[in-house]
Amino acid sequence: MTVETFLAETTPARQPMARLRRVRWSGLVVWAVLMLLIIIPVLTFLLVAVSPRLFRQGTSYFTLSNISTAFQGYTGRGIIDSLWVSTLVGIFSVSFATLIAWMVQRTNIYGRRVWSGSMWLLLLVPTWMTTLGWTDVVAPGELGSAFGIHTLFFYHMFYGASGIVFVLSAAALPFSFFVISVGMRGLGSEFEDAARVHGAGRLLTIRTVLPIIAPALLSAFVISFAEAMSDFGVAFTLGTNAHFPIATYTLFNAIYAFPANFPVAAVIAAVLVISTVPPVFLQARVMRGRSYAVLSGRSRAVRRHQFRPLTRVGITASLGVFMFFVLGLPLLGAITSSFTNTDSFVTTTGIHWTLQSYKDVFQPLASFTTLGPPLWTSNQLGFWVASGTLILAYVLARRMASRSPGIGQRITDVFLLGSIAIPGIVLGVGYIFFYDQHFITAHVVDLYETMPLLIMGLIASAVPSQARLLTGPVGQIQSSLTEAARVHGATKWRAFRSTSVPLLSRALVWAWLLTFTKTISELAVSQILYQPGHEPASVVIETYLGTIFAPIGAAATVITLVEMVGVIGVVLFIFRLVSPKGWRRIGEAGAPQ
Amino acid sequence: MSRSHIQPARVQIKGVRKEFGTKVALNGVSLVVEPGTFTVLLGPSGSGKTTLLRCLAGIEQPTSGEITIGDQVVFGPNKFVSPDKRELSMVFQDYALWPHLTVRKNIGFPLVNSSLSKAERAERVESMLERVGIALLADRYPNELSGGEQQRVALARALTAQVGLVLFDEPLSNLDADRRDQLRIEIATLTRDAGVTAVYITHDQSEAFALADRVGVLRQGELVQYTRPEKIYRHPKSAFVARFTGVSGEFAVTNVREISEKRVQVQLPFAPGIFLEASKSENSPYDKDPHLFIRAAGVHLKAESSEEGAPGIIRDVAYNGRGYEHVVEVGENQNLTKVFVAERFERGDNVKIVLDPQSCFVMNAQEEA
Repeated sequence: MTVETFLAETTPARQPMARLRRVRWSGLVVWAVLMLLIIIPVLTFLLVAVSPRLFRQGTSYFTLSNISTAFQGYTGRGIIDSLWVSTLVGIFSVSFATLIAWMVQRTNIYGRRVWSGSMWLLLLVPTWMTTLGWTDVVAPGELGSAFGIHTLFFYHMFYGASGIVFVLSAAALPFSFFVISVGMRGLGSEFEDAARVHGAGRLLTIRTVLPIIAPALLSAFVISFAEAMSDFGVAFTLGTNAHFPIATYTLFNAIYAFPANFPVAAVIAAVLVISTVPPVFLQARVMRGRSYAVLSGRSRAVRRHQFRPLTRVGITASLGVFMFFVLGLPLLGAITSSFTNTDSFVTTTGIHWTLQSYKDVFQPLASFTTLGPPLWTSNQLGFWVASGTLILAYVLARRMASRSPGIGQRITDVFLLGSIAIPGIVLGVGYIFFYDQHFITAHVVDLYETMPLLIMGLIASAVPSQARLLTGPVGQIQSSLTEAARVHGATKWRAFRSTSVPLLSRALVWAWLLTFTKTISELAVSQILYQPGHEPASVVIETYLGTIFAPIGAAATVITLVEMVGVIGVVLFIFRLVSPKGWRRIGEAGAPQ
Repeated sequence: MSRSHIQPARVQIKGVRKEFGTKVALNGVSLVVEPGTFTVLLGPSGSGKTTLLRCLAGIEQPTSGEITIGDQVVFGPNKFVSPDKRELSMVFQDYALWPHLTVRKNIGFPLVNSSLSKAERAERVESMLERVGIALLADRYPNELSGGEQQRVALARALTAQVGLVLFDEPLSNLDADRRDQLRIEIATLTRDAGVTAVYITHDQSEAFALADRVGVLRQGELVQYTRPEKIYRHPKSAFVARFTGVSGEFAVTNVREISEKRVQVQLPFAPGIFLEASKSENSPYDKDPHLFIRAAGVHLKAESSEEGAPGIIRDVAYNGRGYEHVVEVGENQNLTKVFVAERFERGDNVKIVLDPQSCFVMNAQEEA
């Protein structure tokens, strides 16, 4: 057959099966899992806002009165406060994170690994621990007083809007830092060079180059905003005493008041979720047609800005002071407080150092629980939650980082962002509303007050932010790396194992560790869904902190934190021991990011 | 590497169509690549050449059509063979070297699942390292190599597999001119020495002509001509093919007179007193808006004193190492470009232009949809 006759014989015919094959069954499975984990429980709870009678919470099958109630008085103020506080948190977090990311990723400042590491540490410390630490520093009679500093002014500042903005900004800082760092690493120095050689000064260069990483900046803002909107730790500790209502706290009040007002709580929950929609759409507009992909088969090293020796020392020292205030001082406050066993750090008879609080942690008074079994329960929970979250978050990150974004990706994106803003307490109550329904417990599965339900709730609360964080590293990998493996004989599984896993190994290990530690310190979901008799450590610690036995709570907090850092150390050591050299090169200085 | 180990694959693409949403990237493309030949698919951005290569590789799944590699139908009605089962290898535009693996491990990757013993695998990798001239770089990581060295590793990886078909996705587009020429020669010799079938895509016509046994020109998802490179150059099937494969000038003509089966006579638009014999395209008519297309190779410059030829003025001259390329103005806003002469004419010189009928074609400027 000649080419000509072959061409003549050819008739393009559409194959119906080709379309059928494109049905993504894996996508359906993912959405089914998300429905059970997040969507249905949360929607069930939100439904209470307009149909309280459906859940035996009122007399109307349909009413909008709860919406107007939620926007009035104390709860209304809480919503307004939350919105402006979260906006400020987003702005502060992105501004500082951009500066720090630039210093760490693109300059020669000293101790770059230390600063990156301290960001991880900051990410591990829950907001309630930070609040506790700061209270132990600025409250009258505490650490500040020991150094003769008149802390009453700072104390009043801390127990108000500024304190809440400060703690939430510090908590959001690592999220922004990691997202912006990815953008900074992918930003070749040629863009800066191009601006400079065409006559731009330093400021104009920054103004020219920064928009290139606008997607990362906006992404960081959106995550910070959503994290601040949904934070429960600050609301529960600082918000209580600050007389500054924020939405998560008014929501908590509505649920735990007597009688509980679930319909109003549901309206507040809906506001928290919906508030993330405008930033997400703004981000989507900026992101249109852009890609984060920078990790390609072509490799180039990053060039760093070289500070002069004196400037280098000065900038490093400034960063050190900043990190001391953000992380060091609150940790110091919590640690010193744990070594006393008195009402305040400084008493009329001086400071009384003692290890008594640490002894009391494991030999408590009759009405309290020892920390041992709860900490073990938390570790088990951490293991299962981290492993489950990692799998689901990776699958979602793959969808989000898709090179051909479709409507599915947009929906996933908006959904995940919205989910970050779902406070753990909403998830917890949603789980009770849905999984304790009679038809579920009687005819499907009775998970109420069981460990699996708590694990599900914790996975649901961890997946959205982990998926967003993993999207950066996953999106960095050019598709040609996996395609090259496939065309050179690798099956899908081998291509994943030999390319994606090594390139993402560091990110995956850290994502697992982060979820593990966050699970141990998680409070909101744990408090609502724990299995009676199997309280996790965070719930036990919280019961101490609310009493005159706060130093025991502080000691338990320190032990838990040390244990978390210990696990991180062990896991990273094992990773270093078993991973090939090439895996560890990814992301190191001078190596491809 | 011995030729006897490799069975070059015959590739048949039959009516392949690929849609991305409402956009048609490939519209019923059909072609046959004979075993052991080097085929280059040439086309501008958006012509569908990358999509066609990715469909061949199995990275993209066509909407319809049929693809056969060797004896195996790899895509057809109710059939899709995954990339790893297609017995092919590929050199990527961005090299696609795994940054966590050394050069040696990158090259050895395709052999991991083979039936070869560990020693045989190592021997084959070492032999390929030597052959491609990168033995000294074997223990380095990709980011420690230059662009040319990285692409050499990618080439070595593709050839180590010893499969019957190697695909090249614009492998030279990220290299500087010097390295590009050097690597192009290496690709041509190493691939032919290996005895494999090669399908190579590029938008660079000189690269295509230098490498190919057969060239396929793609436009808007359709294969518009597929034949030997010299035939494409001498007998472009359409105005698009003529333009894309390089013309020195294009002029609207009137009064085209057929003088034989293959020749027409036209009045030179920029020299009304001169009549020129030009080639008729085999497939493209000249009945609507006939244009004269002139290849640079068919333009000769003579001194102004010469009795033959049409008048022109030298507007620009550039030295290209072997001689001089001139831009000659032949009328108002009408130029002939890339006119090569061993001797230099100066800007502003009056010259005479003599055209070789073999390199002049008359075709409709607008193609039928």
